[in-house]
Amino acid sequence: MDEKIISRVDLMKICKDVIDKGNTLLTPGAADYYVVKDISDIILDTSALPSKISHKSYVFPRTEPVLYYKRSKNDVQLIDINIDSKKIVILGAKPCDANSINIMKHLFNWDHSDEFFNKRANNFMVIGLMCSHFDEYCFCTSVRSSPVSEKGSDLFLIPVDINNYALKIITEKGKEFISPYSGYLKPGDEKNSKLITENVRQPEAAFDSSEVYEWLGENFESPKWEGVGNLCLSCAQCAFVCSVCHCFDITDEDYSYTEGRRMKNWDGCQFGNFTLHASGHNPRDIQSKRYRQRVNHKFRYYVDRFGEILCTGCGRCSRGCPVSIDIKEIVSNCNDNQKEFLK
Amino acid sequence: MPHTAEIKEIIDESPDTRTFRLRFRDAETNDRFKFKAGQFAEYSAFGDGESTFCIASSPTQRNFIECSFKVYGKVTQSLRRLNKGDTIGIRGPYGNWFPLEDFKEKNLLFIAGGIGIAPVRCVFNNVLDLRDEFKNITIIYGARSVSDLIYKQEIKEWKVRKDIKTVITVDPGGETAIWDGEVGFVPAVLEKIAPESENTVVILCGPPVMIKFTLPVLTGLGFKDEEIYTTLENRMKCGLGKCGRCNIGNVYVCKDGPVFTYAEIKKLPREF
Amino acid sequence: MNELIKHAKELLEKGEVAAVIGYRQVSEKRTKPVIITEPEETRALVFNEYCLNNLAVYLTKARIKLLGRKNNKSFKLAITAKPCDVHSIVALIQENQIDRDKIHIISFNCHGVVKDFGFDFNGDNLSSKCITCETHKPLYYDKLLGEVKETPQARDSALERIKEIERMPHNERFEFFRSEFDKCIKCYACRAVCPLCYCQRCITDKTIPCWIETSSHQRGNFAWNVIRAFHLSGRCTGCGECDRVCPADIPLSLINRKMTIEANNLFSFVSGRSLETPTLVGSFNEKDNDELFM
Repeated sequence: MDEKIISRVDLMKICKDVIDKGNTLLTPGAADYYVVKDISDIILDTSALPSKISHKSYVFPRTEPVLYYKRSKNDVQLIDINIDSKKIVILGAKPCDANSINIMKHLFNWDHSDEFFNKRANNFMVIGLMCSHFDEYCFCTSVRSSPVSEKGSDLFLIPVDINNYALKIITEKGKEFISPYSGYLKPGDEKNSKLITENVRQPEAAFDSSEVYEWLGENFESPKWEGVGNLCLSCAQCAFVCSVCHCFDITDEDYSYTEGRRMKNWDGCQFGNFTLHASGHNPRDIQSKRYRQRVNHKFRYYVDRFGEILCTGCGRCSRGCPVSIDIKEIVSNCNDNQKEFLK
Repeated sequence: MPHTAEIKEIIDESPDTRTFRLRFRDAETNDRFKFKAGQFAEYSAFGDGESTFCIASSPTQRNFIECSFKVYGKVTQSLRRLNKGDTIGIRGPYGNWFPLEDFKEKNLLFIAGGIGIAPVRCVFNNVLDLRDEFKNITIIYGARSVSDLIYKQEIKEWKVRKDIKTVITVDPGGETAIWDGEVGFVPAVLEKIAPESENTVVILCGPPVMIKFTLPVLTGLGFKDEEIYTTLENRMKCGLGKCGRCNIGNVYVCKDGPVFTYAEIKKLPREF
Repeated sequence: MNELIKHAKELLEKGEVAAVIGYRQVSEKRTKPVIITEPEETRALVFNEYCLNNLAVYLTKARIKLLGRKNNKSFKLAITAKPCDVHSIVALIQENQIDRDKIHIISFNCHGVVKDFGFDFNGDNLSSKCITCETHKPLYYDKLLGEVKETPQARDSALERIKEIERMPHNERFEFFRSEFDKCIKCYACRAVCPLCYCQRCITDKTIPCWIETSSHQRGNFAWNVIRAFHLSGRCTGCGECDRVCPADIPLSLINRKMTIEANNLFSFVSGRSLETPTLVGSFNEKDNDELFM
């Protein structure tokens, strides 16, 4: 791995160049990842809280057309979508967020490849930034990640002093991106950056994901699900702010008498009608079953299928939950029968 | 991207069930579209969305495909409004199939309830086209009432055939004055006629509640779990293992199903 | 606090209620709802400035209503409610969603809550509903706890903002709402936390016909947010929960408050303030103001 030093000023020059070339530059804000218009807006704060909503919508939009149709007397004409595939550079992604596209890639590419996802994902250039924040909801260290994890980043930034960053070049894509700007780079000192990353405060691992995996396999019918099922209000806040939740709905909408489009929209497994059959039968008819599905999908099913945990430990879902249901608390208490409040 | 297909014929099977005979608009697709018994497709009524049903015609039928649907929700209501000559969309075929190769030289017992006859009919007709390769064939089909029975014309043909045993039943109260078939729920009728379980494969499709009560009866009659094939239906949107709603445990019904053996189902969490 | 625990424990021990819906502390500046059915569990109950949730939302949930069935106990539910949450309970009683005699209200003398978890309690961080609050003592209760304390003084910036939006020219106002609604991701958290969004089947879940496009693009977002505002006008009690939980920070309480002001101006009615006056949308009076009909 190659490591360089870049000053903040030079980094901003690169950012400006990215914007000037017509590419999209994303950076995390308090509420959402936003498109940078002016480089003076860029904060690059390692101690910031993860934004309320993840950057998922830039690779998997909350709503997008998958085809257009035009009805005439008997016939229907179908028009393919031209996927807008602008290059997106994401600057200062939290290590938890940086890995999300990699995790989702498995799902969107097994068996059938989803070109909508892939085209966007391939155009993503992730510049990760070490994280020095953690609060009661963070648990990246429990899901095979950490505040200094480079997983998913093409380039990774570590602030070495107030004006300079150590820049690690992780992937070929990152190397390609940075090569035109090699004039800005100075040789790096791996020892120094290693010392910094080793001293970053890390959230203590709250649970062992393989133990959770085992527990879920054996406790599908556990009475514990009922407690959390009673509490959960069936919104999709958790799924929609999540950086790896990927379920969607397909629906048609007409915009004139003869024309319309087929939309792919975010959908959430906590909604009661998510699995509702037309006949009225519903396999996950009560909230406890739906919550069980959510936890199982993240910590068991996805591991079975793709070998990865469908969770980055960012804690967004818990931080924003209307009734403060904390997924970390739930999975870390699952094995403990003394904890009566799995609620 | 769905293919467009023309509705060549509409058959009103019952007051709420319709069969479409479909032919792709594109000749090349017509030649290329191959499927196996048990697979499903996504049918679209443009403007109202897509709906999932099995392909109800036999794969040996090469000139058209058929689908049967019961009018329940938004898409099926919209499909019902279409006329002969109109266009619908088809994506597929998706999912797995009944392993007919493994059924050879065996007795076959078909059990269908309600609209569950559609996938059964697909396999059944496929089997009849290869009649010599199988031993005894029995079909038990139950519907709520006489008017709810579908494929009435075909049933007549099945009944006269000497090389298959056809048992048609309607739920108590659903019979008419001239009804000459059985009266009773499918599990009860099954228990009554008690088919031979030795060297027999069961193909079982129907509403969840019927399947739930039929499986113990089959076990009681000595059928092996691995020899009982059924289809699981869950709500689906993509059919491609992406949208995340059809899963039962770590199994995607749209990819790993819809055909499962009872032995496989027993390993799944109870959530269907 | 001990009084609350003692009282709740007593209720459960005597079998007077099937469950106590209350708050428990999860960290220094955060509480969460808890549904307690066992007397020993009541020790977790708290009440303080961080009890933000409006627990009345649980009263209409079938699974909570039926908690009593399991242990064959009373079907009555006890709920810890801030005086403003009592308004929601009153509104639910008036709309015939719950029975007054099936609810045991444990309420408090309230001096306000914070605007969101994690903030210190002071005038700057006071929840906007508390700034104009006139009911520091609940209007209805079965048990009143807590001592009377002074509410911190704060500026009613929400009202100023409403006035500001009212003064905007049409196109500018539309642009303001467009940009706010654009952020909506349709997670329906606003619907989920709202005690008055109790419909078994929400209009957005209806597919035949599909009234509201489920996509979260401009048209779908406008349809959802505007319809929700209208369904709540004259009914919203102003608990501000939708505003608090919105992950996209859409100022929903501005809309709801504006509708409440309008309803009050036109019909002198504020929802959830009295068990005697009939609901606004459920009653007709010949003398009703007809200005809003065009």
